[in-house]
Amino acid sequence: MAEILAERYTGASIRRSEDPRILTGAGRYVDDIKLPGMLHAAFVRSPLAHARVLSVDASAARALPGVVAVFTGAELEAMTVPGPDALMALLSWTGPTPEFSLLATDKVRFAGDPVAVVVAESRYLAEDGCELVEVEYDELPPVTNASFALDPGSPPLFENLGDNIARPHSRNEFGDVAATFDSADRVTDVHIDVHRHQNVPMEGRGCVATYDADLGLMTVHAATQSVHVTKIAIAMRLGMEQDKVRVLAGDIGGSFGLKIGASREELAVAAASRAVGRPVKWVEDRSENLTASGQAREESFDVRAAVSDDGDLLGLDVKMVVDTGSYPAMGAMVPETVEAMFPGPYKLAAFGFESTAVTTNKACYVAYRGPWASETFVRERVLDLIARDLGLDPLEIRLRNAAPRTNPPAFMITGRPLVGVTTRESLQRLAQIVDFPSFRRRQADARARGRYLGVGVATFIEAAPGPRSPEGASGPLGTESMRLRLEEDGIVALFTGQMPHGQSHQTTLAQIAADEFGVPFEQVRVVVGDSDIVPFGLTGGSRSATMTGGVALHGARQLKAKVLEVASHLMEASAQDLLISDGQVLVRGDPASAIGLGEIARRAAVGDVGAGVDANLEVQASFDGGEGGWSGGTHCAIVDVDVETGLVRVERYVAVEDCGALINPAVVEGQIRGGIAQGIGAVLLERSAYDQDGNCQSATFMDYLLPTACDVPRIEIEHLETVPLDADVNFRGVGEGGMIVAPPTLVNAIEDALSPFGVRIYEQHLPPARVLELIAAAGPAQ
Amino acid sequence: MDITLRVNGTTRSGSPEARKTLADFLRDDLNLTGTHLGCEHGVCGACTVILDGRAVRSCLMLAVQAAGSEVTTIEGLATDAGLGPLQQAMWDSHSFQCGFCTPGFVMQATAFLSAHPDADEQEIREALSGNICRCTGYQSIIDGVLLAARRNTEHASER
Repeated sequence: MAEILAERYTGASIRRSEDPRILTGAGRYVDDIKLPGMLHAAFVRSPLAHARVLSVDASAARALPGVVAVFTGAELEAMTVPGPDALMALLSWTGPTPEFSLLATDKVRFAGDPVAVVVAESRYLAEDGCELVEVEYDELPPVTNASFALDPGSPPLFENLGDNIARPHSRNEFGDVAATFDSADRVTDVHIDVHRHQNVPMEGRGCVATYDADLGLMTVHAATQSVHVTKIAIAMRLGMEQDKVRVLAGDIGGSFGLKIGASREELAVAAASRAVGRPVKWVEDRSENLTASGQAREESFDVRAAVSDDGDLLGLDVKMVVDTGSYPAMGAMVPETVEAMFPGPYKLAAFGFESTAVTTNKACYVAYRGPWASETFVRERVLDLIARDLGLDPLEIRLRNAAPRTNPPAFMITGRPLVGVTTRESLQRLAQIVDFPSFRRRQADARARGRYLGVGVATFIEAAPGPRSPEGASGPLGTESMRLRLEEDGIVALFTGQMPHGQSHQTTLAQIAADEFGVPFEQVRVVVGDSDIVPFGLTGGSRSATMTGGVALHGARQLKAKVLEVASHLMEASAQDLLISDGQVLVRGDPASAIGLGEIARRAAVGDVGAGVDANLEVQASFDGGEGGWSGGTHCAIVDVDVETGLVRVERYVAVEDCGALINPAVVEGQIRGGIAQGIGAVLLERSAYDQDGNCQSATFMDYLLPTACDVPRIEIEHLETVPLDADVNFRGVGEGGMIVAPPTLVNAIEDALSPFGVRIYEQHLPPARVLELIAAAGPAQ
Repeated sequence: MDITLRVNGTTRSGSPEARKTLADFLRDDLNLTGTHLGCEHGVCGACTVILDGRAVRSCLMLAVQAAGSEVTTIEGLATDAGLGPLQQAMWDSHSFQCGFCTPGFVMQATAFLSAHPDADEQEIREALSGNICRCTGYQSIIDGVLLAARRNTEHASER
């Protein structure tokens, strides 16, 4: 009888195992946690961007029935350990390190800065209590933009820094920058701004903390991208040993980079819970999310490009300034990645990069889906500006400059090899999908009738996880670990430090392990969200497809070998003659010999295998990323710009992407479309806006506009699946690419639409009013 | 204030404070945490429930205003046989990712499809344009609703 081989799950759009609970209201998000005796926290927040705190009077709030405690900044500081931002410490940041407490003590640094926390029997009562806390401020001049922050005379946000520099100016050069620019036919010189916008997951931040004073044990239910990073932050700030802190997480309502570790508020809630001896819940409201959770980007670039008359991009020289807002963390570190990624898939003879990061009186910088994405925006914008000057087609200039795929691969001038990068292939495939000559004819006809259509193209590469480097593992965060166990009921359990918040890991990792182990998909459980039982890990940086997919594959292989070894003793057959099929172990060619995996595990557990045999059906696997490699591709948008209203309609959007082998095509395409939708929002709608006094002007969903089902078109996706790089693991990540490349794709299309007016675009945010301004400033159509 | 209403076919009573929203009453007093709060100012639609046949935002309504009403939440859609037809179509279509906006979309689409069983894609997009999803780019959600509508039509024509 032929072997019964299970159908392969990997590569198929298997329905998600997360969905039955999510579709019936049975998901368990942090706000769904309800513990006996649980209290609720709310924060008193600064109405001013920059001020000294003269006094905080909480007596009226404390007297309010239902209010259990109020902690001012000074009181909370006495209950916690001072120190740097936990994430910066974890990433070994050595630059300027501002000193600050969890709640403001001596001064407030942005409108929304938490000043006190009220703990009460209900959220309603906690908010009532906040109204009764009297805070006296002495206003300071607000530092609301980077150019003022760079002025040595600007009032420093952090006294211990002495100025507002969060990352001192530095410059690096690759190749001979001066000679390249001296000998170039032409030099393009532009200033490009990327505006402040933000993650806005549908579920904001939140946690429920509970402290067992007898055991000295802190348990925190968190919405986080990593239970371990949250645990480390809590242990640091609460002065506890890490093994006394347990972080649990269930379903998480999105994050996009916002929920890495623990925020100041979440740490304050944990401290408050310890102090009052009862569980405390805090879930931010949307206004807190928009004003105080964190914001992203706001970077400016001075760019010089050395170009030949034929359109060869020879060199780039870039000056970047990051406005990190208050309480700097990742914003001070992002220039390193921007620098490394800036050349993208293009050949460059020389590259100069300098950067500075400043603190301002705005919400703090947080990671947002492709935190370094501005390099792609600027580079792809500059390529189009050059192409327009030279009369070149946007496809042509990219094909001309993209490094060809060679063996060995070409290197980015900043150092990394372009392993598996298929930019040229994606451009060529796009040209087959979108009939550019036909579009140009339609565009000309439309213009003759006063309708302005435009086409935009942009390419990107995404280090997902990135190429193997001589120094270590692929990707930025080292190796990935996983514990795998055959349970006594035959379930194959995968314990991972990944903390999915929409990425479908409970489905995709089970697909891979089921195939490798030889069990039905339903027989694999992916266990996440408990720092006591899962290994260290973090969901972010587009790393999970390769790193966690890879460790699931290799771990399942190791566990299978161990199970077969044990089974060989139980079945008195050589392990080489055994196979696992459909959840059973059998002797090859003898279906009657089949024994269920559960029985193997039970018999191993009770010692049936005899002495001297390792019957522990558990493995600890790790994976370094194998050959790694890049994801990437080319996107194309066709837009229709109404020059009377300034409204931009996205008529067509095509994504040609290469992420190697697809684990679950529906999941991959969901990530791509979701990222593009965020890019559409970033360009056409979203802005975290401040007035000149530092008041946040986008504190509700009436002011911070998100794309709806009417703003995002049906997106066409074409997959290139390049030749395998690794013997086993050729899945690469796609989490960030859509958000990285959609903004330049759209802005390039809008500029193309407005080219009859001579409009040139040096910014990313193009709501209708701004489109009209650009048209008015450029003059009548030619 | 004492109120009585029917929720998912069962008579429920409670004594919410006058200022308590229907969403908080459902979540806190009745432990129906499937209804989610995404903005608490009526824009995102995550808290949508069906009240007396109409989709409403439970964050904009006080619990006491729902006294005597018939309310259906996401918990009330599954049948003894499993997922309801729209839920099944959305599962089959990979409609969602993080799932936080899901209850609002499912309830809004349920109310819309019952009034417009033959709706086309553009009508569905407009009907769901008051609900925000940050993960999916909407296409998979729209596809799920279209699939449910198509199955419903096919099922009806078989009878």
